[in-house]
Amino acid sequence: MIPLLQAQAPATSFWSEAFNSSELWTKLIITLIVGLVVMVGLLYAPIRARKPIVAFFTFISGAYWVLLYLWPKPIDRQPGEMPLNTVETVSFWLADSNNVVVSFTQILTGFLLGLGIFSLLKIHLTKISKGHKDAFFSIVLLASMGLMIWFGYADWFDRLGERGAMLDNRDNWGFTQYGRDFLFEGLLQQMDAAMFSVIAFYILSAAYRAFRVRSVEATILLSAALLVLLSLMGAVSFVWDENVKAIANGNPFILNFQLTEVAQWIRNTFQTSSIRGIQFGVGLGALAMGLRLWLSLEKPGSGS
Amino acid sequence: MKGNLGEKLQSLPKPILYLILILATSIPLFFPTEVPNEPVESTKDFYATLMALPEGSKVLLMSDWTGSTRGESKGAFRSIFKILIRRKAKVAIYSAADPQAPRVAQDAINELNMERKRKNLPTFDRWNDWVNIGYFPNAEAAINGIANDLKGAFGGRKDFPPNSPPRDVFQSPVLQGVTKVEDFPLMLVITASKTSNFAVERVSGRTPLAFAVTGVMVPETQVFYQSKQIVGYCGGLKGVYDLEQLMESGVNFPDKATAKIKSDKLGTIEGFPDPDNKGQGTRYYPTLHYALALMIIMIILGNVGMFLAKRGDKS
Amino acid sequence: MRITAGVIATIGLYSVLWKENKFYRFFEHVFLGLAAGWTMVALWTETLKANWWDKMVGTPAETGAAATNGMFAYALLIPFGLMGYFVFSKKHNWISRIPIGIILGLWSGQQVQVWWNTYGPQIDATLKPILPTTWDSLIVPSTNGLTPEQLSQVQSQIYFSQAVNNFLFTLTVVSVLSYFLFSFEVKSKAVKGINTMGRYLLMIGFGAIFGSTVMMRFTLLIDRMHFIWIEWLRDGVFPMISGR
Repeated sequence: MIPLLQAQAPATSFWSEAFNSSELWTKLIITLIVGLVVMVGLLYAPIRARKPIVAFFTFISGAYWVLLYLWPKPIDRQPGEMPLNTVETVSFWLADSNNVVVSFTQILTGFLLGLGIFSLLKIHLTKISKGHKDAFFSIVLLASMGLMIWFGYADWFDRLGERGAMLDNRDNWGFTQYGRDFLFEGLLQQMDAAMFSVIAFYILSAAYRAFRVRSVEATILLSAALLVLLSLMGAVSFVWDENVKAIANGNPFILNFQLTEVAQWIRNTFQTSSIRGIQFGVGLGALAMGLRLWLSLEKPGSGS
Repeated sequence: MKGNLGEKLQSLPKPILYLILILATSIPLFFPTEVPNEPVESTKDFYATLMALPEGSKVLLMSDWTGSTRGESKGAFRSIFKILIRRKAKVAIYSAADPQAPRVAQDAINELNMERKRKNLPTFDRWNDWVNIGYFPNAEAAINGIANDLKGAFGGRKDFPPNSPPRDVFQSPVLQGVTKVEDFPLMLVITASKTSNFAVERVSGRTPLAFAVTGVMVPETQVFYQSKQIVGYCGGLKGVYDLEQLMESGVNFPDKATAKIKSDKLGTIEGFPDPDNKGQGTRYYPTLHYALALMIIMIILGNVGMFLAKRGDKS
Repeated sequence: MRITAGVIATIGLYSVLWKENKFYRFFEHVFLGLAAGWTMVALWTETLKANWWDKMVGTPAETGAAATNGMFAYALLIPFGLMGYFVFSKKHNWISRIPIGIILGLWSGQQVQVWWNTYGPQIDATLKPILPTTWDSLIVPSTNGLTPEQLSQVQSQIYFSQAVNNFLFTLTVVSVLSYFLFSFEVKSKAVKGINTMGRYLLMIGFGAIFGSTVMMRFTLLIDRMHFIWIEWLRDGVFPMISGR
C-alpha cells in the first residue's frame, strides 16, 4: 500500500511527518521543487510525446475507478484487518485510496476554478490598463470582487475564534458581519434570484409568439403542456374533479376523467416513459463518451 | 399595429406582455387566499418518509440551492426543517453544486432560528442539532467519496461548537457513531441542479433517498420515483404548497373518513396544525394560478390569431 | 438598507427587459464581481483549507482530537494545478490538458458503474406485465370500503386497463429509445414507423418539461415580486413612512 494514500497516519513514516516539524517542511519544499522541475521539463517535451503524456494521465486516472468497480470487494472488512492474499491486498488498497483520489479530484477542480477567476482578472485588468470605454464597469467588477473577498475572509477569521458559533446570532454581529451579510444576502443572492427570474418574461414572450399548432408534433407538445399547466393549478383541478365526482356518482370508470387522474395517467404512462427513453439514450451516449475519453479516442484528451 | 385581427392578436408588443406578467404576478400577492389543493403522491410519500423518522434520527442533507432558485428551494428548505425539528432530527448538511450553497443554507437556518426565538420556541442549535460540513467541489466525485468512504470524505472538516473554536465535525453529536452513509436512515437532497442524479447514481440502494427539486426537474425526478430509486420528492412550488398542507392536515388524519388529505397507499400520518406551517408555498401558490392562466391565455390567443390570419389570407 | 439595496439591484437587472442600458450593466458587473469574490472566499475556506492544506501540513492537537500528521506529497498538486494555467500560453497550452485530462479520466472511469447504478433499476421498472391476470373487470375496481385482505387481493392483480397502460409505457420507452439510437438513415419501414411514433411520444415528455419549466420560472418571478412589493414596500417602506 502506498502510504500517501492513508488518510490520516497516527505515527510518522516516510510519507507522513508530524505537524509543523522541520522534516515535514523539508520534504514538502523538496517535493514542490521536484514537481515544478517536472512541470518546467514538460515545456521541453517533444511534440510527438505530448499526446501519450496526456493520454497516460487520463488513462491512469480513469483506471482507478474502473478497477474499483470491477475488482472483487472485501467482504465484511474489519478495522485493522490484514489482507490474506494478493486479490485482497489490491481490494484493500483500492478501498483505502478512495478518499485520496476523491480529494485529489476536488483539489484539482478547486485549482481549476481559480482559472476562471484568473481569466476574469486578466480581461478586466487589461481593459482598465488600456483605458477601454468599458473600463468603468471593469473597475466596478473588481471593486465588488475585492469587497466580497475582504468581508468574506474577515468574517471567516472572526469565526475561527471562540465566538464562532455566537456569530450565527445577529445580536453579536460587528461591522464585518453586517458587511458580509449586505454583500452576500443583500446583493448577491437577490441579484442571483433576479437574473434567473428574468427568463419568465422571455418564456412568456416566446410561447406567445412561437407556440403554434402547425404540425402533429406541435399539437401533441401543446396539448401535453396545457394539461400539465392546468394540473399544476390546484384550484382548477379541484373544481374539475368535484364536477366529475358529482357526475360519476361513484362510477369508477367516469372517475378516471378527474383532472388529477388524467394528469397522473399521462405522467405515469407517457411522460415518465418518454423521459426514461431520453435518459437511456443520454446514458448510452455518456457511457460511450466516457470510454472514448478514458482511452483518449476523443479530441479533448488527445493532446494533438 | 397594422393588419387584420389575426395579425393583431399575434403581435402584442413585448412591453405590454411584460407589464401584464408583472401585474399578474404582483397584484394577487396583496390578496392572500387559500386555494383548494390535492397533494400529489410523490409529496405525500416525501412527507410520510420524514414523519416516519424515529425521533433523534440522523439525517444527511445535501443542500445545493442558492438565491437563484430561492422562490422554490427556500420554501422547501424551510418546510423540511420545520418537520425535521419536530422529529428532533440531527442534520448533517453539505453542498456539492455551488460554493454559495453552504452559506445560503446556514443563513436560512439562522433566519428560522430567529423566528423561533421571537415565538419563544426552542432553537435548532448548530453543532448539537445540525452541522455545516461545507462545500465539496466536483459534485460527482464528492458524492462518490461520501458514498464509499464517508469518514474519509468528511474527515478534517470543522464546524462551530458553542463557545469554542471550530472542531472536527465527527466530534459533534450529529455525527457521533456515524462511519458510513448507511448509518443515516435518510438522505435528503434539496437541489436546483444535477446533483440529485449523482445521489441516485451513488447512494440509491444504500440508504433511502428523498428529494426536494425545482419545478423544471420534476419530470426527470418522477422517473427515479417511478423506479423506486427515491422514496418521494417535493417538486417545485406545487410540491412546497403540498408539503405545507400536509404539515397542517397530515394524511388520513385523524381518521380516513374525516381526513382532509387521503391516501389508499399510506396509513395514518399525523399532521401538526400551526399557523407557522403556512410559508412560501401558501404565499406564492395562489399567484402562480394567475401567472399560469396568463400563459395559457397568451398561447391560445397566439393560436387563434394564427387561424384568423390564415382564414383572412384564404378569403 | 439591505432590502432597499436588493430592490434597487433587482430593478437594475430587470431594466434590461426594456433595453440594454448602463444601469443594467453596472449591476451586471457588481453581480459578477460579488459571485467571483465569493468563489475566491469559498474556494479556500470551504475546500482547499480542509481538503488540501490541512492534509498537507497536518493539524495541531485540539480539544478532543489528536494532532494529525502532514502528508507532503499533497504538494505535488500545486504543479498539477499550475499546469491548468498554461491554457493562456500560445506555445505550451497543451500542458493544460494534463489536469483537464486527469479530471476527464476520473469522470469517464466512473461511467460504467454510474450507468448500471442509474439505469439498472430503471430497466427493471420498465419491464412491466402487459398481459392481464384477471378478466373479472376491465378496469381496476373501486377500493372504497374494502378490507385490507380484499384490497391486497385487488392490488395483486393486473387488470386489462393496467395491462394496456403497461404496454403503452413499454412501447413509449422502446420507440423513444429507437428514435435516439436510429438517428441515422434507416431503410426498414418498421423501424421508421417506430421512430415516428417515438418522435410523437417524445413530444408528450417535452410538453411536460415545458409545463414544469414555466412553473419554475414564474415562481422565481413571483418571489421577486413578493420581495419588491411585500417585503420592501408593504412591510418596509410603508410602516417607516407612516411611523408605525
